[in-house]
Amino acid sequence: MTRSTARLGALRRVAGIAALPVILAFVAAGCGQAATTIEYSIWGDPAELASQQAIVDAFHEANPSITVKVTVSDWDTYWDKLQTGLAGGAAPDVFAMDGPLFPDFQSRGVLLDLKSYVEKDKYDLTQLADQGVKDFTTADGGQYGLPRDLNVIVLYYNKAMFDEAGVAYPDDTWDWAKLVEAAHKLTLDKDGDGTTDQWGLYTETTDMENYWSSLVWQNGGDIIAPDGKSTLLGSEEAVGGLQFLQDLIWKEKVVPEPALFAETGDAFEQGQAAMEANGSWLVPTLEAAGIELGIAPLPQGPAGRATSVNPTGAVVYKDSKNPDAAWLFVKYLASPAAQEKLMALKASLPVSKEVLAGPYAASFDGAQVFADSLAYAHLKPSFLGYNEFTAILQEELDTNVFNEPKKTARDAIDTVLAELNALLAGQ
Amino acid sequence: MTVGPARARRRTGPLASEARWAWFFLAPTILGLVLLSAGPILATLAISLTSWDLLQAPRLVGLQNFVDLLGDDRFLHALRNTVFYTVTSVPLGLALALGLALALNRTIRGIAWIRTAYFLPVVTSTVAISLVWAWIYSPEQGILNQVLGLFGVPAQRWISDPFWAMPAIVVMAVWQGLGTNVIIFLAGLQAIPEEYYDAAQVDGAGRWGRFRHVTLPMLTPSIFFTGILSLIGSFQVFDQVYVLARPGRPTEATTTVVYFIYENGFRNFKMGYASAASWVLFMIVALLTALYFRSQSRWVHYG
Repeated sequence: MTRSTARLGALRRVAGIAALPVILAFVAAGCGQAATTIEYSIWGDPAELASQQAIVDAFHEANPSITVKVTVSDWDTYWDKLQTGLAGGAAPDVFAMDGPLFPDFQSRGVLLDLKSYVEKDKYDLTQLADQGVKDFTTADGGQYGLPRDLNVIVLYYNKAMFDEAGVAYPDDTWDWAKLVEAAHKLTLDKDGDGTTDQWGLYTETTDMENYWSSLVWQNGGDIIAPDGKSTLLGSEEAVGGLQFLQDLIWKEKVVPEPALFAETGDAFEQGQAAMEANGSWLVPTLEAAGIELGIAPLPQGPAGRATSVNPTGAVVYKDSKNPDAAWLFVKYLASPAAQEKLMALKASLPVSKEVLAGPYAASFDGAQVFADSLAYAHLKPSFLGYNEFTAILQEELDTNVFNEPKKTARDAIDTVLAELNALLAGQ
Repeated sequence: MTVGPARARRRTGPLASEARWAWFFLAPTILGLVLLSAGPILATLAISLTSWDLLQAPRLVGLQNFVDLLGDDRFLHALRNTVFYTVTSVPLGLALALGLALALNRTIRGIAWIRTAYFLPVVTSTVAISLVWAWIYSPEQGILNQVLGLFGVPAQRWISDPFWAMPAIVVMAVWQGLGTNVIIFLAGLQAIPEEYYDAAQVDGAGRWGRFRHVTLPMLTPSIFFTGILSLIGSFQVFDQVYVLARPGRPTEATTTVVYFIYENGFRNFKMGYASAASWVLFMIVALLTALYFRSQSRWVHYG
């Protein structure tokens, strides 16, 4: 950030000679280099801040002349602050970027192309997970950031509930039919009052990432055309994936209707569901919930295996006063040393292939499942107008398909298809 | 003609210094109003004539944003929801606050504690309140459905059912805002001279008669004041919607104009469009406020 240079300037102006020792101290600390402070903004919770702080401290140890100030906000506040900061020309030097939102920021010219740094340092991009790198690469070969971590969707299961029902644990042979069959055996009305008190499967319907995008891919469909200018949700395959989720809730009745747990949170975490299709970020929460936790790949669909991977990247502000220090830090975040610290949190997958294949896979029971799933994972769609697109789409799906079965998936998609395509074409 | 110089001389007298002090004390408010309110309001007007994503240079589009708004179903829904919120929450909030103020306007032991209790929601963060109400409204575990269930009322999905979602927000907001209006009404009630009641009693007025012909007329300035605050506040409703109308909730039924502005400005990179919507809202509120003020002479009694 401009903070340290501004501080030096102010000292010289106001305090004159009295400030000299201070300036000398700064210079000495930098071993001949000027001391630099950069600001690094992330979204997250206190646990995440602690892990990022540990990484930042290690970076400072390796680069004593650069101090990194971490600021953390909750998700909504993060984007409000970032956009006002960018508009006012006072954005953080380095900030976290969600893969799907990257095009909306990159295309507006607020991110620094790191390509020249990559070339100058002969930085080997293939040491990082391919999907992660791809998300921050532009069609014309620009590299506007490096991935920091990955999130993948898997099938969590409660071993005690499976044992009790005498159902074999999920494994990589499971398909949709097997999922439905097992979920029926695990959906129980224990006290016989006519309402279900243990659900076969729990998932969230309000974001494509949690489950439904994977179902679309497993059925051979897709969401967005490669050029980002139209949606592919109108295909039979895509609609079939959405329909399968509606059927799990309203026909098979093995997934609780969304309203039931909308206010109280995760049914699986509360011990009221035997399985949950959801993201890697839940591992620390579910382990803390005292569940006998099992982790399996998502069941295969008619078109095979698929899951969703969503990278978080570290990007550099185009008008950063310290781009060199920012690049050093971005590079460090993706380094094996930093990635191992990140890995300890268990909330996401490392992007460093070395760490993924080595220490990560053995770091906890089920980590191997996450690591393996990258082989068949699709990138969470990343395109211009992402927020507006998903707001229109989810409103239709939530209201008419998932929250209540007012329409089939086909009818709902047909309702919004023209609007969605017009929106994408206009970006 | 000698009046002029005489007046000019008086300006250097004590009144002039009083005026200077008046300006001195007014300055912070006026400066704040000009810099932090009038400035941005005018800037918003300029922005509303542009297509601006906050990050790149704005492009002048004239009145296109306003034309687009009129044809935007989402904006019209937001407007409809906001009007629904206003016409339900304002009368309900005022009536309940008046009833409560009448009930609390007595000297019994612990009355100060009771009044404080009613004021607590006002000073509690909306986010905390909304989360608690989300639990109250929860379909299975929520206390509302459990209590209603005792009377045989079938469970409702208060927040996720498009029919109930906005009423659920209104009830929560009315409960949260009661305290402010109660305090103002209490002050108004205590300012009514006891002699008026004595006189009414001598004239043979009963409880209802005293309320109808003394309390209510004497309270009209307070009702006018709380009414205008509630009216303006209700058109700006945001927090409750922001917290309760999370993903998966029936957004078409709960989006309000300010939420629409927020979403377009900060989520969809359409600050020009959002500014246009905020000007439409501003004009509506200004018009209603003007009409409300003009109605004053017909029903508000001072003194």
